[in-house]
Amino acid sequence: MLELRHISQNYGDKALLQDINLSVNAGEIVAMLGSSGSGKSTLLNIVAGLQPPLGGSVWFEGRDITHMPPEQRRFALMFQDFALFPHLNVRDNVAFGLIEQKQGKASARAKALAMLELLGLAGHARHKVWHLSGGEQQRVALARALITQPRVLLLDEPFSALDADLRASLRAEFKTRILAAGVPTLLVTHDEAEARAMADRAVRLVDGRLEALW
Amino acid sequence: MTGSASRSVRGAGSRISLWLALLPAAALLLLLIAPLGRLAVTGFTGEASWPGAASSSWTLWTPWQDDYLRWRVLWSLAQAAITCVLAFVLGLPLAWVLARFDFAGRALVLRLLMLPFVVPTLVAALGVLALWGPRGLLSGWLGVNLQDTPWLLLYGNLFFNLCLVVRAGVDALGQVNARQVAAARSLGATPWRAFWRIEWPAIAPWLMSSLCLVFLYCFSGFGLALVLGGQRFATVEVEIYTLVAHELQLGQASVLALWMLVLTGSIALLYALLEKRLAAPSRIEPVLRQAPQGVAQWLALLAALAVLFFICALPVLAIVWRAVQAGWATWATLLDAEVRAALWNTLRFSATALALATLLGVLHALAAQRSVPWRAAAFLPFVVSPVTVAFGLLLLYPGWTASLPLLLAAYAVLAYPFVAKAMAAGLDSLPPQVLHAARTLGASPQRTFWRVTLPLLRPALRRGMAFAAATALGEFAVTLFLSRPEWSTLTTLIYQRLGHPGAASLDQAFVLACLLMLLALLAFLLIEWPVAERAAPSPSLASAVGVGVLRHA
Repeated sequence: MLELRHISQNYGDKALLQDINLSVNAGEIVAMLGSSGSGKSTLLNIVAGLQPPLGGSVWFEGRDITHMPPEQRRFALMFQDFALFPHLNVRDNVAFGLIEQKQGKASARAKALAMLELLGLAGHARHKVWHLSGGEQQRVALARALITQPRVLLLDEPFSALDADLRASLRAEFKTRILAAGVPTLLVTHDEAEARAMADRAVRLVDGRLEALW
Repeated sequence: MTGSASRSVRGAGSRISLWLALLPAAALLLLLIAPLGRLAVTGFTGEASWPGAASSSWTLWTPWQDDYLRWRVLWSLAQAAITCVLAFVLGLPLAWVLARFDFAGRALVLRLLMLPFVVPTLVAALGVLALWGPRGLLSGWLGVNLQDTPWLLLYGNLFFNLCLVVRAGVDALGQVNARQVAAARSLGATPWRAFWRIEWPAIAPWLMSSLCLVFLYCFSGFGLALVLGGQRFATVEVEIYTLVAHELQLGQASVLALWMLVLTGSIALLYALLEKRLAAPSRIEPVLRQAPQGVAQWLALLAALAVLFFICALPVLAIVWRAVQAGWATWATLLDAEVRAALWNTLRFSATALALATLLGVLHALAAQRSVPWRAAAFLPFVVSPVTVAFGLLLLYPGWTASLPLLLAAYAVLAYPFVAKAMAAGLDSLPPQVLHAARTLGASPQRTFWRVTLPLLRPALRRGMAFAAATALGEFAVTLFLSRPEWSTLTTLIYQRLGHPGAASLDQAFVLACLLMLLALLAFLLIEWPVAERAAPSPSLASAVGVGVLRHA
C-alpha cells in the first residue's frame, strides 16, 4: 500500500500542498482531480521521489521512503507528453528500465519485443518514436512503465494530449492492463469523466487540500 | 522530508556545481582575469617596456589627447558603426525575403550563411584582397584601386556580419505571429504598414542585439584590420600589436588596451541587457512562406541572392580562383618542410586545444545550470579581444611567453566558450520529463547522464566543438604574440607570406589560405552535417547562430 502522510509543499511563499493524507491499495486506481496549478503534478513528483516535500512523509508497504532516490523506488511515472527517449528506437525505449535493472541487453530487448507484441506494436519495434502516432506513443510509454513491474504506477494526465476518440479507447485498454498488473495506481487528471471511467476512488485537490469525491 | 532535508538536497547540488566549476574557474582566473588585471594595473601606472626600448610617459588620457591616437580610436568606433548601418540596411530586406519567400534551395542558402562563421579571419582578409587587392578579380576588371581606402576593411567586415544579421533576422521573423499580422491586415493595414507596426516591433530587439555583436566584433577585430586597414585605416587592436611587437612599448600599449577593455566591456554590457529582454514566445503560429508572385517579388528574391553572393560567397570563390591561377609550381610549395611543419602545428595545436576546450566547456555548462553569474562568465573570453588576452598573458607571465603550454591554454580559453554556450543551450532545451522518466525507470543520476542526457546533447556538443575547432584552426592574434618561430601555424605562415614582397609570395598566401579554408570547411560540414536521427531537444538555429557569430567576436 502507498501512503502519503501530512505532505506539505510551498510554491514560493504560497502554500501549494497542505497536510495531504492519502492511501492507495494494491490493485486500486485512485484519481486525483484538480484545476491547473493546483499542485497535482507536484504531489506526483513527490511520490515519485523527484522532488522532496517541505514536510510529511511517503510510505510504501509500511516503510518510510521519503528519502529514497527515485531509481530505487520502482514507481513508474507516465507523463502527459509521454517523455519517450527520442534518441532510442521503440524497442530500446521499452527495454530501458530492464537494462537499468541489470538485465542483459539481449534479454531486455527480447522482453521488450514480447511486450510490444502484446500491445500490437511489434511492427514499430525498430522505428524511432517520432514515427508513431500519439496513441501509439502513449502505448509505448505504458509498455515502458509496466515492463519493469513497478510497485506503483503514477499517471500524470496520460491522455490529455490525445483526441477524444482515442482517449476513450485507450482508457479502457489502460484500465484492463493496469488491473491485470495489480499495482496501486495514482491517476492525476483534470477530467472528471476520465476519473469516473478509470478510477475506483477519486479525490480533489482544492486550495492545497484533498477532498474525497467518491 | 523536512525543510532542512530539502535544503541539504539543494546544498548537495551546489557542492557538485562548485566541483564542476573548479577547472574552468581556474582557467578563467589564471588565463583571463589575472592577465586583464595586470594589464589594467600597467595601464593605470604607465611604464612598462622591453629592455632597450625607448621610454615614454603616457597618461591614461593620452589616447584622447594625441591626434594620431584619437584618430585610431575614433576610426575604430566609426568603422564598426558604419558596418552596423550597412549590415542593417542590407540585412533587413534580405532577411525578410529569405523568411517570407519559399523557393528551391532556400534551406541550402540558409545553411551556406553559416559558412563565414567558420572561415578564419585571415582567409576572409585574403578573399577581399583576391577581389579588390593587387591583380584582384574585380579591381583588375573594373580598373579601380581600393588599396589604402576604408572600403577593403568595410567589405571584410560585411563578409562576416551581413550573414549574422540576415540569420538573426530570418530567425526573428520566424517568431512573428501570423495571427497578429492577419489581424492587422483585417483592420486595414497595408503589408508595408503591417510590417512596421506588427513585424518590426517583434524583430527589432533581436536585430538590435545582433547589431550589438556586429559592433563588438568590428571594434575589437584584429586580423581584418591588420591586413586590410593598411597604415591609415588600421584599428586600435593593430596599434596595440604594433606597440608591443615592433616598438616594444608595453606601457603605451597597455593604456590603449585598457581603453579597449572599457569600451568593449560597455558594448558587451549593452548586448547582455538587450539579450536579457529577448524571449521567444512559447506558442506562435509562424507566418507561412509563399512562392514569389509576380515580377517584382522574383526580382526582389534574385537581388537578395545576388547581394548575398557578392558579399558573402565571392571572397571565398576569389581565393580559390587566385590559388588556381597561381599554377602548379606554387602548389608544389605545399610540400616544403616549412609548410608541412605549419600544417602539423596547426593540426596538433587545434586538436589539443579542442580536447581542452571540450573538457572546460562541458564542465562549465554543467556547473552553470544552477548559477546565472557563472553562465555569464562563459561570455568573458568572447568580449575580450584575443589581442588583449595575449598581451595580458605577456605582461603577467613574461617568463612563459614562448611556452607551448601557455599558448595551448590560451587557445583553449578562447575556444571553450563555444562548447560551454552550445552545451548550456542544449541543457536548457532538454525536457525535464525525459530525465525524470529515466530516473523513475531505475537510472541513477550518473546513469541518466550517460544514457539520456549525453546522447541527447550530442548535436549541441558537436556544434560547439566544431566552432571551437574552427576558432583554434584560424587562431592568429594569440599565435603572433606568444608563439616561437618553430611553432608557426598556417595563419602565421600566411601572414609572413603577405609581408614578403612580390607576386609569388602573394600567390603562396592564396594557396595556403585555400588549404586553411579546406580545414575550416571540414569544421563547417561537421556543424551542419545532416543529422540522420532527430534528437528532439537540440538547440534552435538561432542559438547555433548565436554560438557561431561569437566565434569572431
